[in-house]
Amino acid sequence: MTAQALAVFRRELAVERAGREALVTTVPFVAALVVLAGLAFGPSPRDLSVTGPGTAWLAVLVATIPLSRTVAGTEVAEDSWDALRGLVAPGAMFAGKLLAVWSGLALTWLLAGGLTVVLFGLPVPPQSFYGGAVGTLALAALTTGFGVLTASGPRRRGLLAALLLPAGLPALLAGTQLASTKVSVLPWAVLVTLYAAVVVVAAWAVFPALLEE
Amino acid sequence: MPRPAPARADRLLRASAAVAVVAALVLGLVVAPPDAVQGQAQRLMYVHVPAAWLAYLTFTGVLVFSVAYLVTRNLKWDRRAQAAGELGVGMTALTLAEGSLWGRPVWGTWWVWDPRLVTTAVLLLVYLGYLSVRGLSDDRAAGARRAAAVGIIGFVDIPVVHFSVVWWRTLHQPATLLSPDPAPIDPRMLLALLVALVAFTLTGAVVYRRRLTMLAAADAAALAPVAVPEPAVPADDAPAVPLAVVPRSRP
Repeated sequence: MTAQALAVFRRELAVERAGREALVTTVPFVAALVVLAGLAFGPSPRDLSVTGPGTAWLAVLVATIPLSRTVAGTEVAEDSWDALRGLVAPGAMFAGKLLAVWSGLALTWLLAGGLTVVLFGLPVPPQSFYGGAVGTLALAALTTGFGVLTASGPRRRGLLAALLLPAGLPALLAGTQLASTKVSVLPWAVLVTLYAAVVVVAAWAVFPALLEE
Repeated sequence: MPRPAPARADRLLRASAAVAVVAALVLGLVVAPPDAVQGQAQRLMYVHVPAAWLAYLTFTGVLVFSVAYLVTRNLKWDRRAQAAGELGVGMTALTLAEGSLWGRPVWGTWWVWDPRLVTTAVLLLVYLGYLSVRGLSDDRAAGARRAAAVGIIGFVDIPVVHFSVVWWRTLHQPATLLSPDPAPIDPRMLLALLVALVAFTLTGAVVYRRRLTMLAAADAAALAPVAVPEPAVPADDAPAVPLAVVPRSRP
């Protein structure tokens, strides 16, 4: 199981190295969103300091939509999706793809957070790293599940936004609060931890059903 | 085709729902006094709270039935989940609309960025997505599987919605009945609210069972074998029929 999961993860990294699909779609998107948000909410430093943490997490949440198309998009385009489903156990497939998406989202969070820190002049509270790690894990589980769900059918691709954005609400809220100063840390840390645990377990449990055809 | 007579349990359920609705109307509109602060607008709570309760109940049903479907792969569980999801979406929309109607005279605005309001609106979006997932493909079983997955994952937002007023403590008032330290309430108001809860639950059960019957009939019709008429064999001495070309699309 672990070997299979790592093999899937390595394969995802190789696919990304070859095509740069996630990088090319996500980085310009996040950079544009943060810069435009600064223009929209600024230029008062006070307003930017209030809206900065939320802007970074909103960028991460919205970035799940282009990232979700990379979950199974390459395999479907190359007609290797059926072979992969036949060769790899569902749990290992979920774990491997989850690791890949988590890596992508964590980098997205670092990029969005870094941009807001630099451009918006935000402080970096230490608990924000915990929120970033656990919040992106929860979003990665959602992205993996819903990415596979919509990959197998050509219809209603726009549903991804309707599914992913509302379901990621707790990560958005808790991540934003943990990235803000003068906020009670414990309740939000508990919320994001419980949310991530429940989402990862639920996505893992339903993943085999999503792989069926 | 004649409709089958409703079972005795269904007739009893409908009668109970009708009685409860009439009682709730009388208690809510006549017996219960107007609120000392909010005035007549407070009576909207006799619809708002039961609608929210029924939404929670039906979304819990979606979770349970979705798990049951994924375990058994019996479409009856999927039909139950779908009927519950549709009812829940309707009740969530009603909750938001009622809350907005109440908020205008009491808060002075139709909408505020209150955590309870926002999370409830998000909940509505989650379950609209749940219903929309069924149309991803024409395969009935694939749609049921996908919907079950979304129904399970989507339930994660329910505790966030319910506890939002506890965590944030903003404009929306905390729970009156379920709070560990319940606020004092006039006994007539409490009675009207409890009867309205019963009326909504019974009426919801009637609607749910009716929708279940419709979904079962639709599934039965989809699975029924289609009778293919035997091709007519022309007699040897019949005149040859000229070949007609029918256009596949019309302007």
